[in-house]
Amino acid sequence: MTAVITADSLTKTFGGQRGVEILQFEVTKGEVFGFLGPNGSGKSTTIRLLLGLYHPTSGKTTVFGKDPMHDAPAILRHTGYLPGELALHPRLTGRQHIDFVADTRGLKDRRLQDALVDRFEVILDHPTRTLSKGNRQKIGIVLAFMHRPELLILDEPTSGLDPLMQNEFQKLVRETVSEERTVFLSSHELDEVQRIVDRVAIIKEGKLIVTDSVDGLRKAAPRTIEFRFPTYVDPQLFAAIAGVRVLDADGGHITLSLHGPVAPVLRAAADLDPIDVIARPADLDELFLTYYRDDSPDDSSSRGPSTKQSHAR
Amino acid sequence: MLADVSLLDLRLRRRLLIGYTLGMALYAFVIVALYPEFKNTTSLNNLTKHGSTAAALLGVTGSLTSPSGWLNANLLQNFLPLVMLLITIGYGASCLAGQDEDGTLSLVTTLPIARWGILVQKVVTLAIQAVVLAIVTMICMIVGRGFDLTLPVSHLVGISVGVALLGIDFGLLAIGVGSWTGSRGTALGITGAVAATSFLVSSLAPVVAWLRPAKYASLFYWSIGNGQLAHGLTLASAGVLVLVGAILLFASFWAFSRLDLH
Repeated sequence: MTAVITADSLTKTFGGQRGVEILQFEVTKGEVFGFLGPNGSGKSTTIRLLLGLYHPTSGKTTVFGKDPMHDAPAILRHTGYLPGELALHPRLTGRQHIDFVADTRGLKDRRLQDALVDRFEVILDHPTRTLSKGNRQKIGIVLAFMHRPELLILDEPTSGLDPLMQNEFQKLVRETVSEERTVFLSSHELDEVQRIVDRVAIIKEGKLIVTDSVDGLRKAAPRTIEFRFPTYVDPQLFAAIAGVRVLDADGGHITLSLHGPVAPVLRAAADLDPIDVIARPADLDELFLTYYRDDSPDDSSSRGPSTKQSHAR
Repeated sequence: MLADVSLLDLRLRRRLLIGYTLGMALYAFVIVALYPEFKNTTSLNNLTKHGSTAAALLGVTGSLTSPSGWLNANLLQNFLPLVMLLITIGYGASCLAGQDEDGTLSLVTTLPIARWGILVQKVVTLAIQAVVLAIVTMICMIVGRGFDLTLPVSHLVGISVGVALLGIDFGLLAIGVGSWTGSRGTALGITGAVAATSFLVSSLAPVVAWLRPAKYASLFYWSIGNGQLAHGLTLASAGVLVLVGAILLFASFWAFSRLDLH
């Protein structure tokens, strides 16, 4: 698979402040790569490094095999970018913004631009200061997609969009990758990421803590098992089993998070004559939230979601 | 297209530029039109007699009611440079650092244009604004020849070039400081302070002996403070202004190419 983006020990600090540290990942042609993390985790910093807006402190990144610090115009010619906080000139209209970008890009064929304007019901002729965040975001979508770029770098792209438009946007992303184009999607919207991405990197406090396919993450996610017993049961009986974390214990009602084989748990439970058992499939939301929590995800023996950080390439 | 960024900035500043330019034109016309009323007012000349401090501060050499004295005292040594610097320093501080602070620069920096290309287009926009203001004012001064302000056109053109170059140089300084710091406020503050100091040095040097050597470090001296209206803008003066502009342009590019953008 052709790598469209590579990051090799990519690090950016701002004076003494953390930006991102030793990022290591690849994005291959034709995939939707989700870049997931809470606010302030380093998502936008990473994007600015990819676009050549920030100078890396150390390490390197390439986009289309080129260094963004030295070949930014060549990269940006084939890249569409939608920033997280889209800033438009307040007195200019959407049409004036779109015309400016189209002219600067030397865009002759405006059919895709017109189609996007129709599809997202973009308000073209009002000054952008009079538009809602969602309507400004629609202009940003047109600006990012209208030249049919090979790579789209999207930072919180559906911010402010209503559910119908979010759905339309997700369709647009799918259409984009179906044409073997590549999407780098940064978000903290778990639902959105689950629906449209192929692979996910989770960044926390400037560091990548896992990179894997969504299916891989789902498989690695802990199962939740609830037991109901006729009498009180000591939760330590289950907590002592490898890969088990006791989520809740209330008399004879025990809820466990299990990462690993289920047999040891069932054997332990069978001796206690359980009345009922419910096992839920892996919940990706819970997995992400587990990573977002303050304590280390490496502490997986008791917490379950991942035995190791998997900086997959 | 190379000119798109320039055109965008000119569109964004057109109201400001039109307002400043029309205001300047009106003021300049009033000054030249009033000259016949004052040209024989000998009491005014008492202010500047014997090379007084007042004459130095007004930038006048010789009679205040002479054509050059009248234009220097009322237009060229104060109001025109002030308006020029308001436009150019204001634009210089906002065109990169200011737009980066408010996020709108990313509309340009994420397009396939090299940073040097962006900078050049910003400098072109800066120069257009300075030249437009200088030309409009120059036309008013040339019209003044019909109001007894009988000065050689070449001198009027020369000093207009000097004022335009002065504005461009300080605008470039603001661009450079903004590119270095990424802060519009810092760019405005530092450039404004340098301009004020430069103006004071040029104005006071004729009457304060220890300041005299420092006048050569003042851009005002090379553009308007060395008798340019009476004697014309010398090639040396223009050369200094162009050279300073070239150095500032190079420094701005160096700083902008290293700036982390938002």
